Amino acid sequence: MPITTTRRRLLAGSAAALALPAFARAQGAVKPRLTAISQWSAGSDGAAITALGKKFEEKGGVWQHSPVPGFTTEMMNKLRAQIMAGDPPACSQLKGPEIAAWSKIAPTVDLDAVVAAAGYEKVVAPDLAKLHKPGGKWIALPLQIYSTNMLFLSKRAMDKAKADKVPVTWADFNDLADKMKAGGVPYPVANGGTRPDDGQKFEAALAGISPLAYRAAIMNLEKKALEGPEIKAAFAQVRKIADWMDPNVGAQHFSTNLKRFIDGDMGMMIMGGWAQGVLRNAGFKFEDFMIAPGPSDNSKPVFLLNADAFIFWQRKEPDLQAGQTLMAQLVMDPAIQTMYSQITGSIPVRTDVDLSGEGWSDGQRRTAAALKDAIASNQAVLSLAHNMAQENGMTAAMIDVITEYVKNKTIKPEQAATRLAEAVEGAR
Amino acid sequence: MRERTFAPSRILIYLIVLLIAAAWLAPLAVVVLNSLRSNEEIAQGSMIGWPQHWAWSNYLAAWSGFCVAETCAGIRPYMLNSALVTIPATIFSTMLGAVAGYAVSLWRFRGDTWIYGIVTLGLFLPQQMRLLPWTIVLRDIGLINTLAGLVLIHTIQGLSFTTLFCRNYYVAIPHELIRAARIDGAGFFRIFWRIILPLSPPILIVTVIWQFTHIWNEFLYGVTFTSGQQQPVTAALIALSAAVADIPQHGVQSAAVIIAALPTLLIYLLGGKYFVRGLTAGAVK
Repeated sequence: MPITTTRRRLLAGSAAALALPAFARAQGAVKPRLTAISQWSAGSDGAAITALGKKFEEKGGVWQHSPVPGFTTEMMNKLRAQIMAGDPPACSQLKGPEIAAWSKIAPTVDLDAVVAAAGYEKVVAPDLAKLHKPGGKWIALPLQIYSTNMLFLSKRAMDKAKADKVPVTWADFNDLADKMKAGGVPYPVANGGTRPDDGQKFEAALAGISPLAYRAAIMNLEKKALEGPEIKAAFAQVRKIADWMDPNVGAQHFSTNLKRFIDGDMGMMIMGGWAQGVLRNAGFKFEDFMIAPGPSDNSKPVFLLNADAFIFWQRKEPDLQAGQTLMAQLVMDPAIQTMYSQITGSIPVRTDVDLSGEGWSDGQRRTAAALKDAIASNQAVLSLAHNMAQENGMTAAMIDVITEYVKNKTIKPEQAATRLAEAVEGAR
Repeated sequence: MRERTFAPSRILIYLIVLLIAAAWLAPLAVVVLNSLRSNEEIAQGSMIGWPQHWAWSNYLAAWSGFCVAETCAGIRPYMLNSALVTIPATIFSTMLGAVAGYAVSLWRFRGDTWIYGIVTLGLFLPQQMRLLPWTIVLRDIGLINTLAGLVLIHTIQGLSFTTLFCRNYYVAIPHELIRAARIDGAGFFRIFWRIILPLSPPILIVTVIWQFTHIWNEFLYGVTFTSGQQQPVTAALIALSAAVADIPQHGVQSAAVIIAALPTLLIYLLGGKYFVRGLTAGAVK
């Protein structure tokens, strides 16, 4: 009998000892902890998220990031597995309309109070803000922005064309391409062959011709706009672009042909702002190329938004909750956004960050200025090719039509427009 | 006879074979050459080219240098993870497949063809389809995000292949052999151990090669059911290739791919001569 008592006491004692730290934590002495998953693992993406983790730790937090290398699909699989296992990460990388779609699968954190405290909403592009508060409440926070329609010009190709003016409208662009062709540039438009490539050219064309039509047709999927003349005009422009591209570039990454671009073998590249970092990391000099906002027929910059974001999943543990608050504060912090964008080459989400200082490139300054102007003239729209305008299924249906059109030159712009409208109906 | 070897037809055959071999080996040659060129050299030149400076440092970076997010340990820890999953899963699935193949081929019992059919049905289910069921199973038995969970998955999924292979091989064994052993008083396992296993090396080597290669190269489950430091080598390889604002690290990537392929290559070199022989052994039946 005495033994039993001792055992019981021992058990009770150890239970109390175990419960004590938990109790202490609940009393407010919690150390913020964050479990996060993202695709960011290599190169500057990996360096940026690592730097963010360091800042999190400096603020007294415990940073537990597990990268899920690969494409978005892999990360989605991982996220689904974690949610089904009842163990969602405290926050995970997610972007575009997928935020709304995924928020129906598991409960998310209401970030309204933290966002309001930071006064964040008034410094974020309105269309972008909408994506991150699908039910009217902030559940996700954008971290960095890229523009998908920057225009890169090869200095040597410009020399061959005897041109020095950056094209502003599509007419200017076509003019310059003709001149390049005449001056001996075999392919006035540089291209890659990965999935977003053709989509990027189409969205740049349509948004440059009419941002209003882009918003109505691509973002809102209005039937009338999808059958409108702007879509046909955009397809006609894409045909011109396609005729200037190297047809022998298969499924290559755009970076494969950078050398040809710099050498003036290819003239102009419509690519996201990230290409600047790629060019620099490949060892090319700023003197070798120019960066400008993509062509816009009304001469005011059009900005096709691509933004990375974090979504926050509900957790009961007080340390994870504290970690979520800290993470949200950090992500909105102008100093953190500056640090992050300076590593990756993107621009901050906040439109009130000053980019005149050290550490920013001209390309980034120009991009940020373009975003400001585009927001002011309501010409900041969401990218289709980079899954910002529509959910994955719809995006895939539309991109299929565009890619086929680029490759198959017997399709007429009118036919392509009809096919696009049909694809949208089919995917609805 | 000597002259015949130099007959034009023979030369033509060698020429064609050499050409096909060259085409087949060209991608490998590009990877090997790129593993010795610096990233900058590749980016500023072309994907295909002769190394200007031998960049042996690519191999060092690939083995123990490059970073996957916060961890800069190269491919080494991920190789170990892959080995910890692949070796036990290969052994378990091969042994279980041998027993199962032996049972369905040499022991008639009620529903044996059905069981065989259902087991091999696993071959026709796409991997993605099985992802969610496995999530639920791993969650319920508490093995999610563990290497043991991956061993379990690959052991069970491997059974479809290993059972198929072994069954097709054992079917050729004369039933009289089994009958004679039974008359001598041997039971199910004694016959397996004393008679079947000694006959099995060719097919076991085939299944080991097959299983090892598949599990080592597997990515989807490896990346979904592990986290952070436990990820397999395939995940680390993909991590190297997926950067937005950087040039793809072709040099280090090529070196890493070559290192990661070495274990499977070794298995092939050791057991390769059995491979085709074993695969075709049951094919006529």
